[in-house]
Amino acid sequence: MKKIIIALVMGIGAFPSIAANSIKVTVNGMVCAFCAQGIEKRISKMGATKDVFVDLKKKTVAVEAKDGQTLDSKAISAEIVDAGYDVVKIEPVSQSVAEIRAELKGRK
Amino acid sequence: MRRYLAKISLGVLCSLVSLSALCGPMGFKDSWMSMGDVSPNWQEVFVNYALTARDAAGASALVMRSDDGTKSRQLTEATYARLAKRWNMPEAQANIWFIGGIGNITGNDFSGSKTAVSPGVQVDYETTRVYVSASARLYRAQGLNHDFASARAGFSFFEVDYDQTQPWFILEVRRMRGLTDKIEVTPMLRLIHNRYFVELGVNNSSQARINFMYIFD
Repeated sequence: MKKIIIALVMGIGAFPSIAANSIKVTVNGMVCAFCAQGIEKRISKMGATKDVFVDLKKKTVAVEAKDGQTLDSKAISAEIVDAGYDVVKIEPVSQSVAEIRAELKGRK
Repeated sequence: MRRYLAKISLGVLCSLVSLSALCGPMGFKDSWMSMGDVSPNWQEVFVNYALTARDAAGASALVMRSDDGTKSRQLTEATYARLAKRWNMPEAQANIWFIGGIGNITGNDFSGSKTAVSPGVQVDYETTRVYVSASARLYRAQGLNHDFASARAGFSFFEVDYDQTQPWFILEVRRMRGLTDKIEVTPMLRLIHNRYFVELGVNNSSQARINFMYIFD
């Protein structure tokens, strides 16, 4: 029994400590640098936001939550709509914004 | 599908009637936009503040001169810009803007100043690679009519991330009543970065022109 517990603890330790708590938002109408600036500014000001990344070509806004906090996807969606754009899809992802940025840039 | 076709048609229509001044006459909510348009016969500066994502208020100063340099106008006004309608598409955006101003105009061929009004409309269509716009604006005061129209079309040379500098080729055609009979045609190189753009060109009268815009908050 003791060996099993030790193995479980070691197994858990082998995983990344905490999976990133992020969302990816697909946005219509986001075509210019000024659009990206506005969206990035508004979402950065939200309390739970750790990092934001906007990819115009992929029409994607990626947002990562601060440690121990949860993103309010409805509020994020409302901010984007209020800024003048249309939200098409929101999906939770376990990647960090840095990883999403690297992935999207790698596809170009 | 019909709605999608209607949106595409709007974009094409905008490109056909194109008349304009900028990407959009305001920045994002709570931001300031400053802009300048400088050439021998036209010097304009303006600044506005985006009260909402759709409304901006500000001030502008414009000096206009006739082609032969004998006649000039100085216009200062309070301005208001309103996004009347936006269409968001998967790869594009189209807008209808109302632009208006009220202020004073002076000139070297009349004494004193007159109250001037300048209502106008702008339509634009934009993707990450193509930009077309059209604007028409009435510059009116008692005994004066300097109505203005412009058209712009352009393309970017390549795609970039929004925080990188993107070069564009822009062609503008514009005309103003009362000061010139010429249609001014200006090919320009535009460099756009996340907070600013600069445009450099030479018009069909061999006059240099520089435009700039900067957004800050």
